[in-house]
Amino acid sequence: MVSDMPVTNDIELRLRQTASMPEVLSAGFDAFEAIRMIARDCEDRTPELFAAFMTAADAAVDGREALTIAPSLSAGGTRPGHAIAAEADPGQTADLLAALAAALRDRLTSAADLAVLPGDRAACHEAAAAAGRICQLMARGDP
Amino acid sequence: MRPVFGEFLGPAGEHIAAAASFRGELPYAAQCQAVRQLDIIVATLARYMGDLSLPDPFGPARESRSGARTRAAPARLALDRAARSLRPGVGGTDTDQGHPVVGHLSAAADYLAAGRDLLHTHFTDSGTGLQTPTSWWAPVITSGPVTAALLSELANYTHDLASWIAQLAIRPRASPGAPTAALLALRDAEPWLRQAAAAMQTAQRQRFPPADRKLLGAIPTSIPPPRPALGADEPVAVLCERIPLTAERLRHAALAFSADARWSAAATSLSWRRDALASAITSHASDLVLRTLAERAGQLGMEPLFGARLRTAAWHMVEAWQSWRAVAGQWDIVTTGAVRGAGLTPVAAEIGDLALRAGRLAYRNAHWTPACSHASLSRDPADLAYAPGDIIIVLATVHHATDAIGRILASDRDAVTVAAAENRLYVPVRLLSDKYDIPHPYTPAPRPHTEALLTAYHTAAKAASRATAFLDDLAADADAPSSLLAIARQASTATRRSPGRQDNQRAHAQPPIVTPVPGWIEHTLHNLQIRDPALLLRAAVIDEAAHELVAEAVAKTQSRDVVANQTSRSAQVAAAQQDLRCTPRAAQPMKDQVSPAIPRFGSATVKRTSKRTDHSCSTTRR
Repeated sequence: MVSDMPVTNDIELRLRQTASMPEVLSAGFDAFEAIRMIARDCEDRTPELFAAFMTAADAAVDGREALTIAPSLSAGGTRPGHAIAAEADPGQTADLLAALAAALRDRLTSAADLAVLPGDRAACHEAAAAAGRICQLMARGDP
Repeated sequence: MRPVFGEFLGPAGEHIAAAASFRGELPYAAQCQAVRQLDIIVATLARYMGDLSLPDPFGPARESRSGARTRAAPARLALDRAARSLRPGVGGTDTDQGHPVVGHLSAAADYLAAGRDLLHTHFTDSGTGLQTPTSWWAPVITSGPVTAALLSELANYTHDLASWIAQLAIRPRASPGAPTAALLALRDAEPWLRQAAAAMQTAQRQRFPPADRKLLGAIPTSIPPPRPALGADEPVAVLCERIPLTAERLRHAALAFSADARWSAAATSLSWRRDALASAITSHASDLVLRTLAERAGQLGMEPLFGARLRTAAWHMVEAWQSWRAVAGQWDIVTTGAVRGAGLTPVAAEIGDLALRAGRLAYRNAHWTPACSHASLSRDPADLAYAPGDIIIVLATVHHATDAIGRILASDRDAVTVAAAENRLYVPVRLLSDKYDIPHPYTPAPRPHTEALLTAYHTAAKAASRATAFLDDLAADADAPSSLLAIARQASTATRRSPGRQDNQRAHAQPPIVTPVPGWIEHTLHNLQIRDPALLLRAAVIDEAAHELVAEAVAKTQSRDVVANQTSRSAQVAAAQQDLRCTPRAAQPMKDQVSPAIPRFGSATVKRTSKRTDHSCSTTRR
């Protein structure tokens, strides 16, 4: 039983439903925050995955920082709720994060292509790269 | 491999010993060339003396600037007099450069000069007459034990040269008939070299263990080793070779960048975050490695205490990676702001190599990366260290990595503290509660965030310090290759605790010839037909100290009322300096007025004239 699954599902759904640039940026910001918090929670659960979760959390901060200075990001403070059960399997959590990061990467890449403002385009490109790194870090098959 | 000081000092000593052991006759042509080479050696030795930081107990605060007020002054002056004695014998075009003695002396001169150049790579001129350290070896070089070890070596060389000259001078067959100018020059220089050797031994004062002589020889040139390329499949032996190289590069980069940290565009939270991340991963891997080593030590039947100490070291490493993790967590929120194109600091750009290699040392997967797909179990103990000697080598590797991380931490902590003090830390507004209505992406970090970040660094520094200190002891007891790190730390710590030390700066190199002409006291002794080098040396030291004292007093006077009495003061200043620098020949009655800056020495009183039109000097004896 992994209790953070609803959170990641909600964020994935929100990413898919976004239409405007401010919405994409806002959803992306929250997605990176969710990934960061979940990764931090899982860091010391399995020694073999310590480096993976730490690096994923760091990449999530990279992505969030890239979106923070996007001109079209709305000022409103929205925060992703997240919770992770103590018994959550780190491997399954890694799978969830890999899926979320892949969705995030794809959405940000397509948003970059449609961005009007250069600042938004650069932010989406950088954030998509960060999401791609998270995806690579969390994927348990061949990267 | 980078050249180390021992590669120059050792051969220099061997060549001097080889030259000094020569017992044949020295042909005339070779005599001239030997004097020339000896002159070069003596000048180089004098420069070494000028470099040394040997504070006089009465003037520690001024030690860095002072020439006379250091314990090296007598040795330097004796070498100066030896060089002066040799000068008349240098010359002649019909010289024998192929004689073995000449060859050995020439080689020794080259090695000594190159060794001194190597030591100088660790300092840079600050423009204030002081040399600023540019490497973490600099405080080691200026430390008491290493200075004592260097003095001991140089004293031995000087003594060997004096002994060689002594046996040359008593061999009349070396030059049939009247002694040559070269032999006379050598004979005149010999007592000064003996005085110099004795003065070096006296200046040494401090006893030093053999480890410090080893440390002296191990001082490398201050050029980082080349960056080892990341191989796809690096076995344990290669990892143990390359991790210390990466660690050394990072140590060098951390210190080199610290001077730029305040203004560099790369001094950002991105770089500090990368450092914290890689340090946490490296420490985590080191924890695994140490536990595996402890297990292997048990399997090999090594002393149980050693295994227990390895486990304790692993426990210290747990503290270290947990504290680094806390630092990384603080950087999740606090930031210097996103700046595109700012780049990374040299440390942040390369510290990933250390984390990657540490991980590959800890885990079975030779292609290990932080990715989940490369996750693997920790190495089999026998694979990590097959024999007891391998355990020591892997331990040394972990020691190097931990030491480098500790230095990076100190550098980052200082830079972050400055950033906090200058209000350069922010938080994203979107992460604050909704009560904040700020129309900007960032806002200055609230004090609790800043304090939490600095506290995390402080805790990490303490954990890193404990881990490093424990590994220092362990490496030293096991005689690991990294034990030099421990010895160097002890030496530099002692230097920092010495009274009067200022950031390990040292005096700018003194010119080899410090007093162009004999001073007042020395001249007086000459007039009294004193030929004892010991007395003449004491006189020279007093003269130089007096000269510096007057120069200092003059500088104070000038700064006090430079405007009011500029004209008359300048005249007094020039006269005071001239009187002490020159022999007393120039003194002429000046309306019976004795300069307050000029002391009376015994029956000889110096007066100066206001009608002085040139720089000539004369003596008036009463």
